[in-house]
Amino acid sequence: MSDGRSAETASPTLDRRSFLKTTGALVAGASLGDMLLARQAPAQIKGTSLRMLIWSHYVPAYDVWFDKFSKEWGDKNGVKLRVDHIPHLELPARYAAEFAAGAGHDLIYYAGQILTGQYFRNLVDLSDVAEGLGKKYGGWLDAAKSAAQVGGAWYGVPDYFISIPVLWRKDLFASVGMGEPKTWDDLRKAAGALKAKGHPTGMQFSHCNDANHNWRALMYCFGVKETDPSGQNVTLDSKEMREALKFAKAMYDEGMTPEVFSWDDASDNRFLASGVASWIHDAISAYHSTRVTNPKVFEQTFVVPEVAGPGGTWNVGEPNVWAIWKFSKNVAAAKEFIQAIGDSQKDAMNASLGYNMPFLKGHYTKPMPYLGNDPKLAKLQDQEKITAFLGFPGPMTPAAQEVVTTFIIPDMFTKVARGAAIEDTMKWGVGEVRRIYAKHKAS
Amino acid sequence: MSPGGGPPPPGSLSVTLRPRARAVSWWRTPTARRYFFGYTLLAPAVIYVALLVGAPFLFSLYLALSDASVSAPIAHFVGLENFKSALENATFYTALRNSILFTVGAGIMKGLLGTTLAFLLLQPFKGRKIIRALVVIPFTLPIAVSVLGWKWMFDSQFSVINWALNRLHLIGAYGSPDWPVWLGQPGLALLSVMFVNVWRGFPFSAIVLLAGLTSVPPEIIEAAKVDGASFLTRFRKVIVPMIAPILFIGSAFDTVFTLSDLSIVYLLTNGGPDGATEILPTLAYNTGIRGGALGRGAAISLFLFPLLLPAMVLLLRTLRRRQY
Repeated sequence: MSDGRSAETASPTLDRRSFLKTTGALVAGASLGDMLLARQAPAQIKGTSLRMLIWSHYVPAYDVWFDKFSKEWGDKNGVKLRVDHIPHLELPARYAAEFAAGAGHDLIYYAGQILTGQYFRNLVDLSDVAEGLGKKYGGWLDAAKSAAQVGGAWYGVPDYFISIPVLWRKDLFASVGMGEPKTWDDLRKAAGALKAKGHPTGMQFSHCNDANHNWRALMYCFGVKETDPSGQNVTLDSKEMREALKFAKAMYDEGMTPEVFSWDDASDNRFLASGVASWIHDAISAYHSTRVTNPKVFEQTFVVPEVAGPGGTWNVGEPNVWAIWKFSKNVAAAKEFIQAIGDSQKDAMNASLGYNMPFLKGHYTKPMPYLGNDPKLAKLQDQEKITAFLGFPGPMTPAAQEVVTTFIIPDMFTKVARGAAIEDTMKWGVGEVRRIYAKHKAS
Repeated sequence: MSPGGGPPPPGSLSVTLRPRARAVSWWRTPTARRYFFGYTLLAPAVIYVALLVGAPFLFSLYLALSDASVSAPIAHFVGLENFKSALENATFYTALRNSILFTVGAGIMKGLLGTTLAFLLLQPFKGRKIIRALVVIPFTLPIAVSVLGWKWMFDSQFSVINWALNRLHLIGAYGSPDWPVWLGQPGLALLSVMFVNVWRGFPFSAIVLLAGLTSVPPEIIEAAKVDGASFLTRFRKVIVPMIAPILFIGSAFDTVFTLSDLSIVYLLTNGGPDGATEILPTLAYNTGIRGGALGRGAAISLFLFPLLLPAMVLLLRTLRRRQY
């Protein structure tokens, strides 16, 4: 019996359940698309509250912008938003406590130390948000997956990374007949020549964040691979690693002073601003702070994204990633916020004075915000092509994180700089790294 | 009553059996009441210790025997695997050695300086009350603030200590080989972190000692003086025996606080360079919390227990013997 409806509307292979699924997905997709275009959050988050935990940014102006942005987003969408900023080194302990308690912030943030691999079973799958942003802004950098994906699913949404380029003094390099450094060898030669004139260089041989980044940049440029691409097998025991250690020892002997053994993350900033340093390997916070504290030095300070080694050019960035606990009481609003901040990357780059480097390829269209307006920083607009993260070429697994937090790599370089035999150091360092990876594999 | 049920035969001893008195419960005796009262008074302290010390200790023991991580709600028993792992870690031995050096070295320095300061503060002089208040400032300052102050003073480039030493022509200029890098040279780095611990802790030692000294009756000291006892003899034979209980308790506290002190090393060097200042608490924190391997971190921190236990037992036994 006909009910009067057209027979063609119902395909014989499409039952009621499939029909609802398909149309539901289409409607949801269309609504999400509309929402993204209008930047209008869904009505169900109105009247809810959202708590987020984030680090205190190195650029205070960025935090001012971020807090304002958050407040405006909350007001616009009717969400009562609370933003807590704490120093980035305290975040892991805070997350351990929140996880143990099963309560805490709805929206969390990994700064530098990426814990996606550690907590992914307890995090909301954010593949919908990440893939949506990727599609909208030309796709994610390959390195983004290392920080936010586990088993192909996005358990975090990359926000930005901090690049750590070479900051060098043009006047001092010119005084020894050198121009812009292109290779690690150039940096070594310049440091050697300029140390004699009272302008040594320095990279941290100590237990701080920068030590972990800087020596890895040298390692990767020498062709060292910490693990295989799966991140499961340690490949540190190599000719390249031995060469990197040998080079670092020579660079220390020729171009540094023992003070590098005591440095923290800010020591090289002060070293540059004091006018002593010939070059440093640090984030552009050093560049910005020198602008204020020593304008004469600032005038002569230039930026190189990274220098090349025998194994290529690799800069080790510091990623920052959003994540949502499964126990979050407001997953919908947290996702909306990630979406909103993802849509505001250009403003964020401006507010951070070019410090925040985007993970989305589309944001590398020149001129990039802030970087494109500063001739010295403009070179960083291709940073996405040379960026790697800790554990390269493997992902930032919990084992890779433990190697980072126990400072094994900086300690290897320190031992060699202090005169330990390279083979003894390799035996110790590789042994420690293998022990850590074996423990994680076993558990 | 006769077996037959009649009256008892003449001459027999009459025993009247009263109905069995209801046994007085031991719980109602004055002794029991006294015990009950005593234990009731003790209970808050016992519960407090059980909850705040016993439970965390048992929990850390559970963690150390499991493969617990910061992200695994359910851990599996792994026996002594984590302890074995710590013993296989070369850095562990460095941390163990540094922990012992740090505790013993700082303890001796705090004892010497605290004693000297206590005797100085005991003497009558103008402004004594103000000085007594001022010396406890290092102990009362928030640790993060004071340690950051020291970090600046130990800075490799802008150290005020080096500046002063240079002005006094005791060291060379910045950049010269004899410019000390306080937190960068292995021996100096360990000495520097010990120094900050001593700076922060010796006022506490002095105050504890001062409390003891003021409790010694002056007539006993005077009598010893009349008998011709020198200052050292008076200190050794009269004062120390009289204030021994206070000294023991102060030493016990200081040993525990120093051995488990994470903040100073964490803020100044984080165990670097190359493990020169690594101590068990920093290694445990970086492995267990920052590295996420809670089980292994707990095992490392539990190595503090066998270090502390004999010292505490010895101190408390000596204290008890003295009481009797």
